[in-house]
Amino acid sequence: MISAIYNFALTTGANRVVRGARIEHVCGDPSLGPEKDHAYGMRIVTTALEALTTPVASPTLFDPLAPGPAREAVHAS
Amino acid sequence: MRLELGSFPVREIAFGRHTRYDGGRLEVNREAALAAVMRDPRIATAALEIARPGESVRIWPVRDVIEPRVKVEGPGVCYPGICGREVATVGQGRTHRLAGMGVVEVSSVNWHDAGGDFVETYLDMSGHYGAMYPYRNLHNLCLVVEPDPGLGEESRNYAVHGAALAVSDHVAAAVRGLTAPEYEIFVLDPVSSALPRVVYIWGVHSPQAMSGSSTAFCTATYGLTQLTPPWLLHPNEILDGALTGPYRTAFAMSWTVANNPLMLDLCRRHGKDWSFLGVIVLRTEWTTQTEKQLVGNQTAKLAAMLGAQGAVVTWDAGGNEFIEVMRAIQACERSGIKTVFMTSEDDATDGAPTMLEPLPEADAIVSTGFFKNATLRVPAAPAVERVIGLADKAVAGDRRTGVGKGRDELVATTGPLPPPWRYDDHYGFGTLSCIE
Repeated sequence: MISAIYNFALTTGANRVVRGARIEHVCGDPSLGPEKDHAYGMRIVTTALEALTTPVASPTLFDPLAPGPAREAVHAS
Repeated sequence: MRLELGSFPVREIAFGRHTRYDGGRLEVNREAALAAVMRDPRIATAALEIARPGESVRIWPVRDVIEPRVKVEGPGVCYPGICGREVATVGQGRTHRLAGMGVVEVSSVNWHDAGGDFVETYLDMSGHYGAMYPYRNLHNLCLVVEPDPGLGEESRNYAVHGAALAVSDHVAAAVRGLTAPEYEIFVLDPVSSALPRVVYIWGVHSPQAMSGSSTAFCTATYGLTQLTPPWLLHPNEILDGALTGPYRTAFAMSWTVANNPLMLDLCRRHGKDWSFLGVIVLRTEWTTQTEKQLVGNQTAKLAAMLGAQGAVVTWDAGGNEFIEVMRAIQACERSGIKTVFMTSEDDATDGAPTMLEPLPEADAIVSTGFFKNATLRVPAAPAVERVIGLADKAVAGDRRTGVGKGRDELVATTGPLPPPWRYDDHYGFGTLSCIE
């Protein structure tokens, strides 16, 4: 699940949660301009695809803004 | 901060040659009141009608209900900030109110074209539907008002609300120089340290995120509707109208905010059962997890800095605003402040919880019943003899009704009419609660 309110998704039991931008624009940020908005959106969607191929044992957050190509999964407390 | 609130009970409203109050009878010079409205060039048409308790009358569309209040002594004006009114800090001196009446803002102007926040409230002065709301027992002076249709959405909103305030000011001025038959002193003097110290955390919606405008018309603190960090208000400021409606339910009107029974009880039992520290107004509908967590944290920090041991919490919305309200409760509990949350509940479809995010820290909850009229199984409101406002009402298949877009089946307002989608008694005016 891609969600701007990712903690809520985690506490309600979604297995793989990707941190979205904002409630108004979950998969991008129009204020960045067309090119950067697209890049940001791609990063979110790529993270979501990576999440799908990552085994998880409990609700897990995937953060597209985390540094590095291999983003570390952050487990829900 | 000391406020003397003088009440002038209204038991009858009639149109006459003068606007004056005498022994429970409010006489209104209709032409003079409408002249005050028409001074604003943005207003195209305006009319005044009276709705009395028990009459077979329906009022539609209802945008707000305002209790006429006027500052008699002390700084500022009642209902400060909104519609360009002055912003001097209120809550001191003497204020007079016309009790038992409302000025009803009746107009086809919708809030804003985003987020589904369309005007859907109608009020009945009799019958089972009318009895669900406090307004049925009020004498209501209804301003049916339409602005210049060429104006932008936000201007139309402020124009019609300013018009309703002009009527409120006009009638409230009639009791400015009179001696109030009833009065009450509101003051939060220091009290015995043995009493528990309690704060009221009051979540109110901001339309900023969904409208895309920091000045969209809605619930306001000193006229500001934008998303702001939590406000610390003295309850006397709220009694003078520093916090105003309306939002989208009949319980989020300016009248219900000014007459919030929870806040009045917190004031009246100060020094007897607890020490009431004040009101933290939490603006809601932030749109990232970080923002929601931050305002929750800061709300709890403010409460802790005030020395609160307990907090009562309400909110006026449904949906994503719940997150920051819940995070404020969680942050309070984690910093040792016990909370009681008063809220309506959603229906439990397929065994889902009746709370959007039932965090374990929120372990003391007072239910005011179900959020939706459909869950409460409220039958259609019966046909009425007279309508104040629009003759037609849009009704959609999912029972959502309103003046917004996409509500294309028009029915006669005289009814019978399905109730609005939302009920949601935010402040405990009614007696509904949970199913034990």
